[in-house]
Amino acid sequence: MIVPRPIGPRVVRAAILAAASVLLLAYVLAPVAWLLSSSLQTEREIVSIPPHWIPDHPTAQNFRAIFATGLGLAQPSPNGADPASGGFIPSVAGNLLPAMGNSFIVATAVVILNLLIGVPAAYAIAKIRFRGRGVALYAILATRVIPDIALVVPFFLVVRKLGLLDNLASLIITYLAITVPFSVFVLASFFEQMPDDLDRAARVDGCSRLQVLLRVFLPLARPALVAISLFAFLASWNEFLLALMFTQTAASQTLPIIVAGITSDFTVSFSFLNAAGVLAVLPPVALAVIFERYIVSGLTAGAVKG
Amino acid sequence: MARIRFQSVTKRYANGATAVAGLDLDIADQEFLVLLGPSGCGKSTTLNMIAGLEEISEGVLLFDDQIVNNVPAHKRDVAMVFQSYALYPHMTVFENIAFGLRMRRVGEADLRMRVMQAADKLEITHLLERRPSQLSGGQRQRVALGRAMVREPAVFLMDEPLSNLDASLRISMRAQIRHLHTQMRSTFVYVTHDQAEALTLADRIVVMKDGTIQQIGTPDEIYESPTNVFVASFLGSPTINLLEGALERENGAACFKRGTLTIPLPALQGGARNIVLGLRPEDVGTPGDGPQLHGVVDTAMPSGADQFLGVLVDDAMLFLRVGKDVRVRAGEAISFGLNPERLHVFDRETGRSLRGAA
Repeated sequence: MIVPRPIGPRVVRAAILAAASVLLLAYVLAPVAWLLSSSLQTEREIVSIPPHWIPDHPTAQNFRAIFATGLGLAQPSPNGADPASGGFIPSVAGNLLPAMGNSFIVATAVVILNLLIGVPAAYAIAKIRFRGRGVALYAILATRVIPDIALVVPFFLVVRKLGLLDNLASLIITYLAITVPFSVFVLASFFEQMPDDLDRAARVDGCSRLQVLLRVFLPLARPALVAISLFAFLASWNEFLLALMFTQTAASQTLPIIVAGITSDFTVSFSFLNAAGVLAVLPPVALAVIFERYIVSGLTAGAVKG
Repeated sequence: MARIRFQSVTKRYANGATAVAGLDLDIADQEFLVLLGPSGCGKSTTLNMIAGLEEISEGVLLFDDQIVNNVPAHKRDVAMVFQSYALYPHMTVFENIAFGLRMRRVGEADLRMRVMQAADKLEITHLLERRPSQLSGGQRQRVALGRAMVREPAVFLMDEPLSNLDASLRISMRAQIRHLHTQMRSTFVYVTHDQAEALTLADRIVVMKDGTIQQIGTPDEIYESPTNVFVASFLGSPTINLLEGALERENGAACFKRGTLTIPLPALQGGARNIVLGLRPEDVGTPGDGPQLHGVVDTAMPSGADQFLGVLVDDAMLFLRVGKDVRVRAGEAISFGLNPERLHVFDRETGRSLRGAA
C-alpha cells in the first residue's frame, strides 16, 4: 500500500522560493509591462480606474505617429482625441527617430573607442611590468570615484573651448571619460587572471606583444569584452545629464533628452510618452538578450579580483 | 646551432631584489645543461633571460657571437616548455602545436607535415582535434613538448617540465626528453629542483643557490666531488650524512675527531680546524682493513632492492644504505668499513671542500 508522504521541509522550501521569485519578478517587471501595455492604449483608457493591464482597444496610433513624423511624412498634429485629456501628438514627436539615431551613433562610437583604448591599456597594466603600473591603475580607478555631476562644469568648459557644443563629438568624448576607466579596470582584472605563462609561451612562440594580445588574450577575453561593450553602450544610451548640458538642437539631442522633453509640453500625452519609452528600451533589451550568456561570466570575472 | 654565453650577468628586479648575481656560464652548442637548485636560487630567472622574457640588468648574453641582450623573445630562435604547460585554451591541440610555425609563416603543407610528425613521435595523433581542457596532465605535457619540438629551435628551454606529473610518468618522460635531445641536436637548457632528474638528464649540471653558481660539472663530478656542503647535501637521496667535528693531527697524520669517534684521513693536508665530514649513505662496506665505524642500529627500513639503516654512532644518527643480506634488528651493535677516498671533508666555517687541497 502506498502511503502518501507528508509534505517535507524541502517542498515547503521550494514553495517559498517560488513564491518569492514570482513576487520579485512581478515587482521588477510590472513597470515594464505597464509601459508596454499603456503605449498601446488611448489616452482615455490609460487614466481609467482600475487600470487596464490588457488594453480593451489596442491601438498603434502612437507608434504610427512616431514613425510617420520621424520620417517627415506628417506634421505633429492633434490625433482627434480631446486635447484636454492630452490625447495628441507632442511637438517633439518628429525628433524621436533622429534622436534615436543620434543615441545609436554616440553609443556605438563609445563602444568602439572603449575597445580600442581599453584593451591595450588593460593588457599593458595586467601583463607588462613598467614603472608606475600600480599608480596608473589606481589613477584610472580614482576618476570613477568623482560623481559625474562634479564634472559637468569642467566638461562644459572644455567642450565649449573645443567648439563642440551641440555636436555629437562632445558626448562621445565625455562618455569615454566615464566609461573607459571602468572598461580598463574590468579587462585588466580579467587579463590578470590569465596565467603569465600563457603570455610568455606566446612570446617565445614568436608573438610580439601586440600579437599576443590579438591572438591569445582577445579570443579568451570575449566574455569580458561583451560585458564592457554592453556597459559602455548602456551608459551612453541612457546618459542624461551631460547630454542635457551639451546639446541644444535636434542635430545632437539624444533619446533621453527628447523623451524627457515630452513631459515639458503644456499637456502631457502619457500614451505617447510610453510609446517613446518602449522605443528607448528596445535596443538595450535586444542587446542584453543577444549577449545574455556572456554578460554574467564577464562581469563576475572582472569582479572576482581587484 | 647555438652556443650560449653569460658574461657577468646580473638580474635585479624593480623591488631591488637580486635574482642572479655576476653569472658567468658557457653553454656549448648541443649540450644538455641542467640548472639545479632550490626555489628562489635564480635558475628560472637565468632560463628566462635566455628566452628573452626577463631583461638583463648588467652584463652580456651571447648566442654564438651575437649579443642578444636587447633581442625580444619572439625574435630569438628559442622554444620553451613551461611547468604549467601554458597551452592556449582556445585552440585545438593541432593549433597549439602549429602556433609557433604559423607565427613564422611556415607554409600550410609543410606545417601540417611537421605537426603530424611531432604528434606521431609523441603518440598524440588521436588528440589533435581536442582542446587542452580535455586532456590529462601527461597528455598536456606531450602537447607542450610537441609545440616546442616542431619549431626545431636552436635552443630548447624547459622550466621544470615534469614537476606536475606523477612519479611513474616522470621517469618515462625523462627517457623521452633525453631521446629528444639526441634527435634534435639543439642546445637544451633544463631547469629543475629535482636532483635525480638532473643526474639522469644532464651532460653538465649547474648547481645554483641565492643567485650564484655553486658548482658546474658533469653529474659524476657534482656527485662525487662536491665543492661545498650545499652541493653535497643537495644531491643524493637519502641526503649525505654530515658530521661536525675537528681535524686533528696524530703523529703527523690527519684524522677526524668527534667524541669517541676517530677516522683517519691520510690524504688530507692542512692544520687543525673545525670540519664537517660527509658520508654518502651508500659509501659503507663490510668491516675490513681500513677505518671502521661502530654504532648501534636504531631503525631498519627495507626498501625493496636494499635497506636503509638508521645507525647511532657516538651521539650522531647516520643514515646508511646496506644490502638486504645484512640482517640486523634495532638495538644491535653494527660495524662498517669506510673508504677514506670516498669521504667528503668540508671546512666548517666556509663550507668549502678541503679535498681540493688534498
